[in-house]
Amino acid sequence: MPDKNVLIIGGGVAGLTAAIELAKLDCHVVLIEKEKSLGGHAGQFTCKATDECAKCGACIVEEKIDMALSHANITIYNQARLAAISRKDRFAVTFFTEKDAEQSYDADAVIVATGFQAFDPVDKPFGYKRFEDVITNLDLEKKLRHEIEVKRPSDGITPEKIAFIQCVGSRDSSVNHLWCSRVCCGSALRMANLINTRNKNTEISFFYIDVQTFGKDFQFYYDRIRDRIRMIRAIPGDVFRTPDGQLKLEYYLPSEGKQIEELFDMIVLSVGIIPVGTADGMMEKFGLEQPKTGFPDEEFMRPVAGLFAAGTSKGPKTITEAVADAGRVALDVVHYLQKQ
Amino acid sequence: MMKTDKIVEMGHPDCSCFGSLPYTRDYCITCGICSSSCPVSGVDGFDPRKVVRMVSFGMREEIVGSRWPWICTMCGKCENACPMDIDIPGIIRKIRSMRDRDHVPGILHKGLDTAIQTGNNLGLPQEDFTFILKDVGAEIAEEPGFENFSVPIDKMDANILTTIHNKLVNTHTDDLKHWWKIFYAAGEDWTVPSINWEGTNWGLFTGDDDRMKIMVGRIVENMERLQAKHLLWPE
Repeated sequence: MPDKNVLIIGGGVAGLTAAIELAKLDCHVVLIEKEKSLGGHAGQFTCKATDECAKCGACIVEEKIDMALSHANITIYNQARLAAISRKDRFAVTFFTEKDAEQSYDADAVIVATGFQAFDPVDKPFGYKRFEDVITNLDLEKKLRHEIEVKRPSDGITPEKIAFIQCVGSRDSSVNHLWCSRVCCGSALRMANLINTRNKNTEISFFYIDVQTFGKDFQFYYDRIRDRIRMIRAIPGDVFRTPDGQLKLEYYLPSEGKQIEELFDMIVLSVGIIPVGTADGMMEKFGLEQPKTGFPDEEFMRPVAGLFAAGTSKGPKTITEAVADAGRVALDVVHYLQKQ
Repeated sequence: MMKTDKIVEMGHPDCSCFGSLPYTRDYCITCGICSSSCPVSGVDGFDPRKVVRMVSFGMREEIVGSRWPWICTMCGKCENACPMDIDIPGIIRKIRSMRDRDHVPGILHKGLDTAIQTGNNLGLPQEDFTFILKDVGAEIAEEPGFENFSVPIDKMDANILTTIHNKLVNTHTDDLKHWWKIFYAAGEDWTVPSINWEGTNWGLFTGDDDRMKIMVGRIVENMERLQAKHLLWPE
């Protein structure tokens, strides 16, 4: 399709995948990314392989970045933002590039691949932003990418005891996020296993509601690693800091029927995946109201011909699910363009 | 893993016996933050998460007969932490209301009976009550800066009418002094009624709506009798 132009908003793994698939079919693709670097959230994630691949998908991102950067049909603008968009026969798009130069582009189709934002747990009772050694799962991803043996932020020592707290800001009507974020059980358990493999002296406690084993082989992985992790089926109540800088966690231990106070060196909060909003107000420009959950789906986009969404902008997905979804959306775009 | 003591035949779960409650407990996702946040969980194994589940399963006999609902202090921390906004103190109160009044724990049962008969949970006669208030007031007046202090009992048209928690005229009289001194320093116009002054409504805590209303009605009568503008009801 050499005469067709597609605009992709967002250079995470979904946007990159859709760009590559369309470029392969000779579409001309312009991809705009608001950050300095490509890859989105997943681009900062660590490989979680131990003696074997943990199938987390983190390595896919770099592969996609390389392919997108080297493809002649893809033009990428980093630190870019959408200025205006309207639709007659085609989409008339203007956006600002890195140097604040205004750029125009006529697109036959637009893919929104703006990803997600992480829930900010500062209002939850777990001491985030008050205590340095309470971090999120995304912080831990970045740490594990750079540190062979994980160090705690406050003083750089190797933690002997780490607690993971799941479902922070997911499945939570008090913050209007009723959904399961799908990926956190898998990614947190893989990181827990990685830490424990690199340092056998680090004890991991995993506070959870129920382990969500999305993906057809995650159950096997879970069965293999769960005896190395202390699994506690309750979400803790409060976190305090002791005078000597440790974190005191209060929780109910169902197996003993007791309230427990236990000291940890570091606490990792698995924060929920929440919607980013509507890509610089783009949906409003097309007269689309805010979707109910905040995640626009296919049904929601349908009134605007040629407008598509891919990846976690539509809801929580693993890296591999986002890639698969973006591939399918690229195919939908091709079918659409053929009819034009 | 937890040990299984015995297996209970559940039949088909039916929680209709608990009536309608604000925010259905069926929204519970069993995260356990209620039990982790609770200041008294673990006392006799008390587990608010299990209370909510037992209600959802319609285990009326087991939960109404259990000590657990009476361990709860109804402080509401669980409800505040609950991601599904389940009114756990409301559930506890409902369970308590379903017990025969003769089987309500002794001190609460007797205290409420006494309150209905005498106006306060202790059965403290009016003259003893006013004597204690005046005595505590005299102690305050001995302190520098409070020389003119006296307790305004049954004062008409006061800005604030305050109820009294019975333990403050029993074992904790010193605790009366702190806020009375604040009233004095602030130049507040306040009063204490000499009858039906009880601020601790055990009708509320035992799930007894009828007698709760009687106790509340008496405070309303005091407000009207003394033409007070505002009610301070510390508990």
